[in-house]
Amino acid sequence: MQSIINSIVKNRNLIIYLVLSFISFNFLFNNSSLHHNELGKISTYLSATSSKFLSSINSYFNLKKENEKLINENLQLKKIESKYRFTETNKDKLKSLSSAKVILNSINKSKNIIIIDKGKLDSISLEMGVISSDGVVGIVKNVTNNYASIISLLNTDLRLNAILKNSSTIGSVSWDGLNARILKLNDIPLSSSLKVGDTVVTGGMSFYFPKGVPIGKIINYDNSSLEGYYEIDIEVFNDFSSLSNLYILGRTDNDEIKSLLDE
Amino acid sequence: MNRELLRNISFYAIILALQLLIFNQFKLFDLVTPFIYLIIFIHYRISYDKTALLLIGFLIGFIIDLSMQTYGCHTFSTITICYLRSNIEKSSFGVNANLPLAMIKGTPLLSRVSFFLSLIIIHSILYYLFIFFNISLLSTIFLYAFVNSIATFIIVWIISGLISNR
Repeated sequence: MQSIINSIVKNRNLIIYLVLSFISFNFLFNNSSLHHNELGKISTYLSATSSKFLSSINSYFNLKKENEKLINENLQLKKIESKYRFTETNKDKLKSLSSAKVILNSINKSKNIIIIDKGKLDSISLEMGVISSDGVVGIVKNVTNNYASIISLLNTDLRLNAILKNSSTIGSVSWDGLNARILKLNDIPLSSSLKVGDTVVTGGMSFYFPKGVPIGKIINYDNSSLEGYYEIDIEVFNDFSSLSNLYILGRTDNDEIKSLLDE
Repeated sequence: MNRELLRNISFYAIILALQLLIFNQFKLFDLVTPFIYLIIFIHYRISYDKTALLLIGFLIGFIIDLSMQTYGCHTFSTITICYLRSNIEKSSFGVNANLPLAMIKGTPLLSRVSFFLSLIIIHSILYYLFIFFNISLLSTIFLYAFVNSIATFIIVWIISGLISNR
């Protein structure tokens, strides 16, 4: 208490100056309409600026929630879009669509794997197809209770049934392990007509993906092969180095087809 | 002490009367009103209490505001220079500034000019900042403050010379 009193006595001139300044300002802003109005403007500006600042801080801390909200919205839209896109050729084949986040991803090996944060407890099972908002990503390879690993398109072991969107010519897509943006489209006979820029989509002749999921576009082809097939380079739509949110497709007819094959 | 107090009060009253009756009517180039009442704060003995200086500054500024309808602009500018006076005095006269050096003969002219001008310029800038109260008129504010400071300085210097001669 004594130290507080000492401090006040020590700084009495500053305190008196501040009090007298306050009285002066009060006198000024209460009696002069010009100053009153200008002060009103400054007050409005300061409150607007501080509100904006607080709002931006608040929105920053809400980014995670906003992101989850957007992912959910995206998922809903994706479901609607998938249903619309596959209705004609894949009626009732799409059982479910789940979202997952990438927690581990590699692109610099010949057998690249992606790990996601969803597993058996989220109804993820083996050999489900995985896509992103840009197109095909890979196929579920292993599943634990909470996680799943995906064979990425950037895995030399994976061959995926594909067709040319314009001509419906059937082929298969694989990766040669060299460039993370370039895949090979194989088994397209020289009799087919194609051009640079043609889109390659999934062919639907597999357990994993319904027909029509985008894979990439033709950027280069060679028709001089003696084997009677084109050598085609396609650029993938997905940027595998920046994958974050994926969608796992569940199909209703897999078990039925598999049982037929087993017989 | 009482005699000195009486003399000081008479001095303040005369200066205040000069300001209110003569210099407030004075409009050089239609924009300059010399604030000769600042001479009170220039000649105030710092050996007196600083708190008293603040209260005198407030009272005189308030009277000038009432007479000029400036609603507190003089009051704020005046108490600010009263509060800063000891610092300005130290920066003008050096660390040994402890008595009314501004009035002592033999004090370096440059120090005296610096002391007078510092007080007057700070007061003028603050006064016109609050009179215009518009940051977009900054050049006008500084023009007014500059011209007013020069006019005030000349008159205050002359009056100071007269006082010190007596």
